[in-house]
Amino acid sequence: MTTSTDKRAADPRIAWYRNVRILRVVVQSVFVAAVFTLLFWLFNNLINNLDRLRIGTDFGFLGRSTGFQIPYDEGFDPRSPVRDMVLVGVKNTLLAGFFGILLATVLGVIIGVSRLSTNWLVAKLAAIYVETFRNIPPLIIIIFFGFAVFTYGPFPVLSNAAEIRFPGADRTGLILSNTVWGIPSFLAGPNIGVFWASMAVAVVAAAVAFGWRTRLHERTGAPERRARWSFGVFMVVALAGLVLGGDAFSISWPELSETRRRVVGGFRLNNGFISVTVALGLYTASHIAEIIRGSILAVPKGQSEAANAIALTGFQRYRYVLLPQAMRIAVPPIISQYLNLVKNTSLGVAVAYAEITNLTLTSIGNGRPAPQSILVLMGVYLMFSLTISFLLNIYNRRIQLVEH
Amino acid sequence: MADERSFFETGLDEPLIVANEPRPPREKLNPPQWLRKRLFNSWYNSAVTLVLIPVIAYLGWRFFSFLVFNARWDPVRNNLTLFMVGRFPRAELWRVVAQVVIWSSAIGLAWGAAVAGAKARALRAGLPYREDPLLAKVRRYGALLVIVGLFLAMTQTWGPLIIFAGSVASAAVLQFLGSRTAAEHVAFLWAGVAVLGVAGFQVVSGFYGNGWLWMGVPIAVAASKLVGRIEWSSPLAARLARLGGVAVVLVVAYVAYMVIDHRGVGWEQWEGLRLNLLAAPIAIVLAFPLGVALAIARRSSFPALRIISTGYIELIRGVPLISLLLMGQFFIGFFLNTTTPLSSITRAITALTMFTSAYIAEIVRGGLQSIPRVQVEAGQSVGLRPFTIIRLIVLPQALRNVIPAMVGQFIALTKDTTLLSIIAVADLLYVRGIVHAQAEYRAFGIAETLVFVALIFWAITFSMSRESQRLERKLGVGER
Repeated sequence: MTTSTDKRAADPRIAWYRNVRILRVVVQSVFVAAVFTLLFWLFNNLINNLDRLRIGTDFGFLGRSTGFQIPYDEGFDPRSPVRDMVLVGVKNTLLAGFFGILLATVLGVIIGVSRLSTNWLVAKLAAIYVETFRNIPPLIIIIFFGFAVFTYGPFPVLSNAAEIRFPGADRTGLILSNTVWGIPSFLAGPNIGVFWASMAVAVVAAAVAFGWRTRLHERTGAPERRARWSFGVFMVVALAGLVLGGDAFSISWPELSETRRRVVGGFRLNNGFISVTVALGLYTASHIAEIIRGSILAVPKGQSEAANAIALTGFQRYRYVLLPQAMRIAVPPIISQYLNLVKNTSLGVAVAYAEITNLTLTSIGNGRPAPQSILVLMGVYLMFSLTISFLLNIYNRRIQLVEH
Repeated sequence: MADERSFFETGLDEPLIVANEPRPPREKLNPPQWLRKRLFNSWYNSAVTLVLIPVIAYLGWRFFSFLVFNARWDPVRNNLTLFMVGRFPRAELWRVVAQVVIWSSAIGLAWGAAVAGAKARALRAGLPYREDPLLAKVRRYGALLVIVGLFLAMTQTWGPLIIFAGSVASAAVLQFLGSRTAAEHVAFLWAGVAVLGVAGFQVVSGFYGNGWLWMGVPIAVAASKLVGRIEWSSPLAARLARLGGVAVVLVVAYVAYMVIDHRGVGWEQWEGLRLNLLAAPIAIVLAFPLGVALAIARRSSFPALRIISTGYIELIRGVPLISLLLMGQFFIGFFLNTTTPLSSITRAITALTMFTSAYIAEIVRGGLQSIPRVQVEAGQSVGLRPFTIIRLIVLPQALRNVIPAMVGQFIALTKDTTLLSIIAVADLLYVRGIVHAQAEYRAFGIAETLVFVALIFWAITFSMSRESQRLERKLGVGER
């Protein structure tokens, strides 16, 4: 086909307006010119309108002070520049995204497998879960947690918060209220460096053990048991480092301040964070469960029957036969669900969780220029999306290499 | 086994014959066998069953007692109109009622036309036509029926019941008449559906501005078809006659609207559930041409088109909808060379359209990729132009393959319309806040209204996803 095009292009008898080579250039130039004219017109209008309203058109506002206190973030100084506020927002978005993804994955896999259970009750419960959460808008679920569970829900106000001790502990381990929860956390001690170093050594040792078991298996055919070996080596080395290092970290217990208006110490979760994480975790879990179920069903039935024929148990059938094959189908759509979850954290705006969209909105309300602020916001999300789709592409390429 | 095959209605042009795949016979179990096989077939399944039964009983009881005994439904019961239409001017409420009745009639007529078309195709192919039993239809739309029933049970006047009965009755009558129409008149039924659809629209938005054009176009198309049926001496005469028919109808429509000048309610006042239900289809319809163009551009051999289209699609798909809505709220009007502010609905629907077009583009691109290259080459071999190949060969097949995915996008968009509440557009979720802001409902819990709103969305999206699964099975996408 290309040869015929070339011949025609070279043929002097063909008029220029019928020459494919010239036409291609002309059509594309006209199109590009039209698009750029349109964009220029839009941009020009934007600049004119902003000038008329005396709104700046530069990004200088990023260096000026934020001007408001980020909720539940006592460490943030309102005088620090907008740039720092954006970073706090990004951190909170990623935090909610990370824990949401964790919850969604664990719950989604369990429920997806449960839908195929031979136990009627389990399968029906999983189906009801999926059909309920998949069909309710995530914003409603977030608002339900934020307001019906927290703000107006059963938890006491902070000054009257429930202080729960773990059995056997002598201090309050858990503080529950309708705004902030406190849980114990680790505090870095003087020898934290030793701890991290021993962790690094442990990871290397585990990797070495993994490789050794693989080679042993390939050479002698002995059972691999790679996971068991590398986990064992990791634990031994890490524990040894912990004992020898000493004072690597201490436990910080949550405590109500004297005014009973703040929680000090421990790790503090606020209602916005819990609502966004749990609601999006539950919502996305229903989608992931459907993907897992579909992928398992997409594995040819013969595989499952073969596993039954060699008398594998139900667990072994999933672990060694079905899930490895299903995962290859399931991973790309699951990763795009992760991306959706990260984008959906922007709904935290409804429960005043201090993620990037909410902070941008507050900042615009405080007189920062809207077009630039939203451009920054879109840039942040675009960065997340492009990173995730980049990883997805790498994964897809790897799978293809394995297949061919 | 020819009589085992069945036809169904899709409104598509070619007959779709789907053979019922032979299924393994279902084992018949008596109750003790069923218990043993489905609940106690191994020791761990027995343990799981025994743990789950009390848990389910407890949760079920808590939910039931909340719904029936503890919940105080007054904020919902006393504000049903607010939930449905928001702050739509109460003096103009008859327009909404008329719209509901007209659109129900349109749905009934469309259903009847689809049945008539399927019957005609079955007759042509020499196969028996089998209609779904009533029970299957009721089960298919059960969730919606339950919600409508709940809604009617909560009303305090007879009005909603009468409107509902009237809509159902007119839809049923039109469905009955439509399904018995002769094959050659089915096209007129579809024209009628279009006219009813536009009429339902116009009865609310009134007849000012370009309203005559909306109403005139479907009637003109019908007129052109009608004139086309007459035998003319030459093709040119036929074409002229058809054009003349269109022109006459458009002029008549224009004059009629100038005379009537009947002002209505603009979409700035769409609120409540009405807004949620209308915003999604409007955005889909507006985004569809743009999405198809973007998809074709992305697969074009012109790099400039490809790059621009890919850039737009990836940019939009990479950001959350809420950021586009915020853009709409704060500065989309600044892109225009005007100082008159756009209404918040216009800005929201623009943002929704931009968002949806990128997703439709990706769906359509999937459909285009599913068309084998031979199809294009076949078109080239008979000397068609590239554009004609796309229009006549590639697009019709590609679009048929993406129907289920489009329904999925429609469902997602319906759920996404709740985001309008964040930018203070009064959709169903936002109206909830208005209800609780009233002094007399301050003391009430907020869970009831949330459950009500969630149930409505659940019923709508659940029914739609069931329908799309059915469509997917019938179309056999992915099986051919």
